[in-house]
Amino acid sequence: MSSSGGGSSSKPRSASFQPSETSSKRKRGVFQKELQHMMYGFGDDPNPLPESVALMEDIVVEYVTELVHKAQDIGSQRGKLSVEDFLYLIRKDLPKLNRCTELLSMNEELKQARKVFESDEDKLRKVFEVDEPVE
Amino acid sequence: MLMHTERMKQSKDPFEAAFEEQEDSPPESPADTAVDALQNPNSSIVAHNSQSQPQDQLQLPHDDNAKKGASQFTPLSGSGRTNASSSGPFTATTGAGGSGTGMKSKEEEEEEEEENMDVELGKFPSSGDPDKMAKMQAILSQFTEEQMSRYESFRRAGFQKSNMKRLLASITGTQKISVPMTIVVSGIAKMFVGEVVETARIVMQERKESGPIRPCHLREAYRRLKLEGKVFKRPMSRLFR
Repeated sequence: MSSSGGGSSSKPRSASFQPSETSSKRKRGVFQKELQHMMYGFGDDPNPLPESVALMEDIVVEYVTELVHKAQDIGSQRGKLSVEDFLYLIRKDLPKLNRCTELLSMNEELKQARKVFESDEDKLRKVFEVDEPVE
Repeated sequence: MLMHTERMKQSKDPFEAAFEEQEDSPPESPADTAVDALQNPNSSIVAHNSQSQPQDQLQLPHDDNAKKGASQFTPLSGSGRTNASSSGPFTATTGAGGSGTGMKSKEEEEEEEEENMDVELGKFPSSGDPDKMAKMQAILSQFTEEQMSRYESFRRAGFQKSNMKRLLASITGTQKISVPMTIVVSGIAKMFVGEVVETARIVMQERKESGPIRPCHLREAYRRLKLEGKVFKRPMSRLFR
């Protein structure tokens, strides 16, 4: 059956009192809040078990760690990590790949949109500055 | 367009956009039959982010049976306008066993949405297929309360950029982590969580258990994903295996 507390160290039940650990050890409950919502969205209970969330966090961290190490191996020639390394790593996994390209292109779009917005805002501000009385 | 206006007027920003963007995804997909036993007859959407190609992600046999009446819809994360052919049913298990009652308060989610705004970048739906969007909205309009809440969680939940950045920095040893990198890794991680949770649900169904997911299910799910090679890329050289 399920052994309680999937992780090694004691896990705080709520995000409010997290034991402060040294930076060498991973802090527990870093992703706790988000993970709860995420797991619910993907099919878990509205209130997932804390042990499950903790275990999931461990799994995710391990996954990301592994991913980054692999990416570093690939990108080591360049000396630093780049986004392409990750994209290369997940190239076989189509849903992820598509999702990532989607996210990246959206990021670009948003950046563009913000730029335009800011330049417009500047223009507006200048117009107002002329009119503003001394306040 | 309609969906967003009614639901997310609060922050007209990446998060909302992410929500909208998600709706573009290919509506086709059928719902899943494998998870039948698990669900209530009326409300059952099994969440599955798979993508266009049939041999995706969780090889759940759903792809082509639209058994589940009104409420099913398809994929989103990763649907990508890049793939014209939709696919990837997106199904969210409503957890027949236990999840019936307690729903998270929406306020919580909204606050979280504010925090997580930057994690999921979305595009406004204008670039989606009108077809897909129409189908999507048709499906969404038929959701039950619980389904809608779950879907909302699905769309909005995401890893905090700051946390992810910190994690990445600690792994790489203080390299500068660019923003797109956090975005990409967060997206990958989220989909990975989805894979594990869905597999865990399958495991539970096989064992005929219900209720919240327990760590043993997660472990079994993780083990299976590893066996299938979905967790890590296989080692490059197999010379001496």
